[in-house]
Amino acid sequence: MTWTCEQTEARLSDYLEGVLTPVEMADFTAHVPSCGRCAPLVASVSELVTGLHGMEQIAEPPRLVYSILDKTLGPREALTGWRAILGWVRGVASIRFAYGALSVAATLILFVTAAGLNWRHPKLADLQPATIYRRANSTVHLAYGSSVKFVNDLRVVNEIQSRLREDNDLRANPESTVPESSPQKQPGSTDGSKPATPRQQNRANDLARQVEMMAMEMPEVCSGLGGL
Amino acid sequence: MEQDAQLVQHCLQGDGSAWEELVRRHSRRIFNICYRFTGNGTEAEDLSQDVFLRVYRTLASYRSAHGGFATWVTSVTRNLLIDHYRRTKRDRVTDSLDDAMPVVENKESTARRPDEQALLGELSGQVQTALTKLSPELREAVILRDLQQLEYGEIQRVLSVPEGTVKSRINRGRIELARVLQQMGVRPS
Repeated sequence: MTWTCEQTEARLSDYLEGVLTPVEMADFTAHVPSCGRCAPLVASVSELVTGLHGMEQIAEPPRLVYSILDKTLGPREALTGWRAILGWVRGVASIRFAYGALSVAATLILFVTAAGLNWRHPKLADLQPATIYRRANSTVHLAYGSSVKFVNDLRVVNEIQSRLREDNDLRANPESTVPESSPQKQPGSTDGSKPATPRQQNRANDLARQVEMMAMEMPEVCSGLGGL
Repeated sequence: MEQDAQLVQHCLQGDGSAWEELVRRHSRRIFNICYRFTGNGTEAEDLSQDVFLRVYRTLASYRSAHGGFATWVTSVTRNLLIDHYRRTKRDRVTDSLDDAMPVVENKESTARRPDEQALLGELSGQVQTALTKLSPELREAVILRDLQQLEYGEIQRVLSVPEGTVKSRINRGRIELARVLQQMGVRPS
């Protein structure tokens, strides 16, 4: 049997649905690949059907269901009594609402504490705007001052630690460990026979003096470093 | 989960929640059929409401022995869509794709609003544009078979035409749609 292009077009869906008889299928597959008209047609329709089957449903507008219900069952009546309370509780009893409520409560506590309210002995005078402003201003400045001091302390501690580390490194590198092949590259540094040069000794003395001065200025920081 | 037929029985006994369940189950599918047919979100929403209004009013005439509730609702939808198409026909410049000529309907159907384009996605939007260029007979056949994936028997019941006609329309619809997309420079895969 000779398969024609008209047959391909007429039976294309049958081919795609897999309902051609074995004989028709044989004729179809013998004709289509070598036909310049049928091959692109079969390919494009096949791709189209695959694409259409893969398309997802479009979400309907959220109001659609309520519009239909309003038009068919009539406008929904407002709940009263315990049903209203139950409906309200259902709306509130959700994780999202709980997170929201917790966030709001935490923010309020933060602001009220920053405004200087005494939780143990609250007074009406504490709620005056001028008092709130004065206390909030004071709290903010104190917090700023504390944070600046903390950052400065950290910088000092870091400086002390780095200088102590340098000093330890100097001590941990005895002169005998310097390779003998380069004894003269750093004149005066070491060749295994000479003591530390005056320049190195001065630097070590400077370090010790600086640490002592810092310890005097910041005894609380340096006492914490005692264990280091 | 209750079957549709049981929900219909409850509805007929005045159970509003059963009707609400039916609406929730079928509203997306009906909206999609309307949207794919009209290519317009507002019209599709209005038509979906009309479909459920008519279903609600004629619920007593539904017989489960004659087919599933979904098929029955789809038949109601199809009839309303054809009525709508006929009502609005004079507003459009149409030609039949049966004449094997590419057709451009009204500009409104091809120029999509940005929110509708976002709703569809690029390929889906292009397919939608191409769909609106098919004649209503071919368009509804392709929508029911390839987008709603109804069986041939169900489509036959919805369209009330012989199975041979259903197959022929689906086949011609697919070929025409592929040609329109090709003219638009779109590869559907």
